[in-house]
Amino acid sequence: MYNSDMPTRAELPSSRQLLRSTAIAVVAAAGLLVTVVLPAEYAVDPIGVGRFLGLTTMGEVKGQLAREAEDDRRRDAQAPGRGSSVLPGLLKGLLIGEARAEPAAAQEASVTLAPGEGSEIKMAMKAGAKADYRWTASGSVNYDMHGTAPGGRESSYKRGREATGDVGILTAGYDGHHGWFWRNRGQEPVTVTVKVSGNFTDLKRMK
Amino acid sequence: MVRPCIRGCASAAHVTLPRALLLAAILLALCDAALAHGVTEGDKGYIQEISGIHLVPFVYLGAKHMVTGYDHLLFLAGVIFFLYSAKDIGLYVSLFALGHSTTMLLGVYFGIGINAYLIDAVIGLSVVYKALDNLGAFQRWFGVQPNTKAATLVFGLFHGFGLATKIQDYDVARDGLVPNLLAFNVGVEIGQLLALGAILILMGFWRRSGGFFRHAYAANVAMMSAGFVLVGMQITGFFVAS
Repeated sequence: MYNSDMPTRAELPSSRQLLRSTAIAVVAAAGLLVTVVLPAEYAVDPIGVGRFLGLTTMGEVKGQLAREAEDDRRRDAQAPGRGSSVLPGLLKGLLIGEARAEPAAAQEASVTLAPGEGSEIKMAMKAGAKADYRWTASGSVNYDMHGTAPGGRESSYKRGREATGDVGILTAGYDGHHGWFWRNRGQEPVTVTVKVSGNFTDLKRMK
Repeated sequence: MVRPCIRGCASAAHVTLPRALLLAAILLALCDAALAHGVTEGDKGYIQEISGIHLVPFVYLGAKHMVTGYDHLLFLAGVIFFLYSAKDIGLYVSLFALGHSTTMLLGVYFGIGINAYLIDAVIGLSVVYKALDNLGAFQRWFGVQPNTKAATLVFGLFHGFGLATKIQDYDVARDGLVPNLLAFNVGVEIGQLLALGAILILMGFWRRSGGFFRHAYAANVAMMSAGFVLVGMQITGFFVAS
């Protein structure tokens, strides 16, 4: 209008053309919803096209992640402010102080993951404590070696996708619980075994 | 670290190992809430779980990105606001697509790290620019009409960097990155076409009514305002977010 010529009414699309276009748009939208969007967002797949396209799997993964995140939120809501009271910190200091005087001998823990399942194995460590680790898996797993501070804050040390093992030294960045989260994205159950030796207490499966 | 003494310092050493482990177990069980693994949800969570080539899912994610990218859609609406022929619309949308595809692909592949807030602020400015251009402001204020095709292409480049920062945030696996990125780009174009179709149908109805030419000026002012809101939101985010 201001930077180009104005069209005449006759040059614009006719009303009939526009209504027909709207009808086509609605039909196209319904088709896309059923075959693409609902499978990819909610794993709802009425005619099976979503599964064929690989989008229903996306919806299932997202649904699982949403449920797990919701569980985490509910669990955090039920136990608020654990880090605030002095006594647990005092007792922890006493006990983990003991652990520093006696580094734990080599320990081993393992977990079997069903397809789609994820689980964590962690140890309690003080800031700067080191632990030599080696973990192996009977199949491919996604992993996240990370730490969790008492307030719930997390930080990741190392991550990987479709790995069958890892070796190294975990250095705790702060007081808290440090270890691994593994997720089996394959079709068969996978067993993960981790061996650790060093400065930690209480190597155990978290959930 | 000062070890707190409960019954005199000598007694601290008498807390036997089994009792210590029992207490540790109880404390850790009580603190179970804080130990849950932080799960990333939605599209980002899904992408972080996969590696290898997944063409259709990435096409879907690209389309979703564009259809829900209201800053991109606002600019697109501004570009076609006064374009009436299919030829013109096709040409300008292609220029925009060329721009954003180029920088999106290069940005992700080479890991070009641009602050997301800053690039999104520039995208907001692109909306302001286009609204002013539609209003004839550059002719009125500066006596020039900047080449609209060139402007569309150049701003497209910035939109592409915006897309690239979002994708880098997703942490796509290196394995299968190029095919997945190309699929994502195809998806972006598909999403763009779908959104464009909806915009053009609405514009078509509006332009036939007398209201369009009466309200075109106000509509572009509203678009300019929306652009400024985007700029303000992103600049604030830049300073406020950690």
